[in-house]
Amino acid sequence: MINNVLQNKKNTPITCIITIPRRNIKQSIMSKKNLLTVLAIALACFGCSNQNHGTISRLDIIQKRGELKCGISGKIPGFSYLQQNGKYQGIDVDICKAIAAAIIGDPSKVQYRTLTAPERFTALRSGEIDVLSRNTTFNLSRDSIGGNGVTFAPTIFHDGQGILVKKSSRINSIKDLNNSTICVGSGTTTELNLNDIFQERKLNYKPIKYQDLNQVVAGYRQGRCKAMTSDRSQLAAVKANLPDRKNHKILEEILSKEPLAPASIGGDQKLSDAVRWTIYALIAAEEFNITQNNINIKIELAKADNTNTSLRRLLGIDGNLGSKLGLRNDFVANIIRNTGNYGEIYNRNLGPKSSVTIPRGLNNLYTNGGLLIAPPLK
Amino acid sequence: MRVYIRWLQNMKLKRSNILNYIITLLLATLIVSILVQFVNWFFLEANWNVISQNFPIFFLGLYPKDQYWRPLIWIILIILSLVLRIKKRSNKRVQKISIFLSVLIIPLGIFLLGGGLGLTSIPSREWGGLILTLLLTLCSGVLALPLGIILALGRHSNLYFINRISRLYIEFMRALPLIAVLFFGQLLIPLFLPIGLEINRFLRAVIAFSFFTSAYIAEDVRGGLQSIPPTQIESASALGLSQRQIIQFVLLPQALRTAIPSLTNQAVGLFQNTSLMAILGLMELLGISRSILANPNFIGNYLEVYVFIAIIYWLIGTVIALFARNIEHQLNSFK
Repeated sequence: MINNVLQNKKNTPITCIITIPRRNIKQSIMSKKNLLTVLAIALACFGCSNQNHGTISRLDIIQKRGELKCGISGKIPGFSYLQQNGKYQGIDVDICKAIAAAIIGDPSKVQYRTLTAPERFTALRSGEIDVLSRNTTFNLSRDSIGGNGVTFAPTIFHDGQGILVKKSSRINSIKDLNNSTICVGSGTTTELNLNDIFQERKLNYKPIKYQDLNQVVAGYRQGRCKAMTSDRSQLAAVKANLPDRKNHKILEEILSKEPLAPASIGGDQKLSDAVRWTIYALIAAEEFNITQNNINIKIELAKADNTNTSLRRLLGIDGNLGSKLGLRNDFVANIIRNTGNYGEIYNRNLGPKSSVTIPRGLNNLYTNGGLLIAPPLK
Repeated sequence: MRVYIRWLQNMKLKRSNILNYIITLLLATLIVSILVQFVNWFFLEANWNVISQNFPIFFLGLYPKDQYWRPLIWIILIILSLVLRIKKRSNKRVQKISIFLSVLIIPLGIFLLGGGLGLTSIPSREWGGLILTLLLTLCSGVLALPLGIILALGRHSNLYFINRISRLYIEFMRALPLIAVLFFGQLLIPLFLPIGLEINRFLRAVIAFSFFTSAYIAEDVRGGLQSIPPTQIESASALGLSQRQIIQFVLLPQALRTAIPSLTNQAVGLFQNTSLMAILGLMELLGISRSILANPNFIGNYLEVYVFIAIIYWLIGTVIALFARNIEHQLNSFK
């Protein structure tokens, strides 16, 4: 008899944490409703907190925090990479430093955040980063509200897409690449441009897609594809570091224009103005021939010379250009003292003495036949 | 050797096995040639400068140089606590120390790495490399285990509400890919939070990992619970044990022991999964390696770096597995 009872019990659940009589189950269902209301209220709260985003500028937040969160790639030679001493270096990194020098006054107050191409705009929108300085091509759909909804600063590097091939392949133009395999990074404008140009010319190709540049290079070196395509700046870096660099060449043809620019969240004029004028200040400083070395002399000169109004305004001796932007009046002097002007930044990272040499070309001042020009800082 | 000779003799006996010979020969040459190539690359072609020059960065990331002793002490403590646990010690003092160490290893790690109380504080974004991988694994594992056990018990409960919630949670989490959970934690949670309020990235990763892993652990523990015959509970309650006592002294010790092999699986999996954070920009072992690879001095040395970190992942994965096997043997000797 007892055995029977025990055997019947075998099918019941093993344990319960607290035993409640069955009739109380109704009450626990009732509490489900309560939970739903709590959830609804919580969601509503999240909703209202979201609406606050528009009212406070990120510029104030950065200043209050005392630190700039800058999104970089961390994987592009010459633009951003990790040195042996554990510090980031590159032109993108120097732009972050310049912005930090302008907004906070200290170029070391930057928190670098390494991002891959697909996640960069999400990170910007979610506030994970304040400024995106990551080899990003400035184009309409990224800038517009209907697209990624970010605001671009002026171009810091005019790039163009090129194609790297082996000399032995006897490929001299895009036409020769008909029906061949091409290594390309996925999720980038590079991939789209390649597709556009081949369709336009009614040529066939087989893309082999990789996540980042290193893998594209690896694929190319292993001979998985006849050619690899990327921005010419990157191709120059890649070619410089191939063991048999003399056997490779970059085709003359340029597939696209790729103006690379930093970006900040759209609809935040205060921050995007500060970023924009930081870049212009770098270019203007080169126009005025103000360098990291002579900045203090220039300041002394400007202080002594009442007639040189444009220099005095630029260096914050006269006027209140900085405070109009919500920055300190001497923000330009502060930037140049810490990072140097645009030309210095360029030479440090991509100049003839650096390990990734790219001729300045379009990235020269307009006075030297390039495209860089800063509107007057008035 | 004897086995080999016997195998050859067997082969000779069967005349129809010429095809077998050929396949064996082909496979053998293939394996040997791959091995030769690899050894050749490993010793002659590979440029190991990329490893030697960045050695500390692989392990400690961007951690300030003058503070390297702190993570080193922590690593030594981890190894010590593992070694002390390997053999069943009769010495009670050693036993006490080892338990003390394993309980305190995470708070100690966070204190040593993060600083405070006299040590210079170092923000979590400067933690990186292997040390971050280890801390991420340990923290997530330690959070996930109790959560998983509670979920498993909840799923067994005959309380309608608790049962449903646990089941819903487990099924929901298991249906999601890990990368989606991580993406949510890293990029979407900041969207919901009011501006200015920020949760540490490391913490967000730990929470995402432990929430995800706990669902799997819950199922493993449930398997352990189901292996216990119900008569044990009945006899326990007949002896007058309370619900809590039954769970604490009868169910969990047996269930967890049964679940150890699959829990080990989860631990190794969790450790390997932390490498997914590289996609989301956390500088753990894989993330830091990819940044090192972009240094113009080391471009194209990807194979050296990936082989190196593969060896590290393999070593630690093996240590976890061996350690778990050891614990299992120790527990089984109680039987």
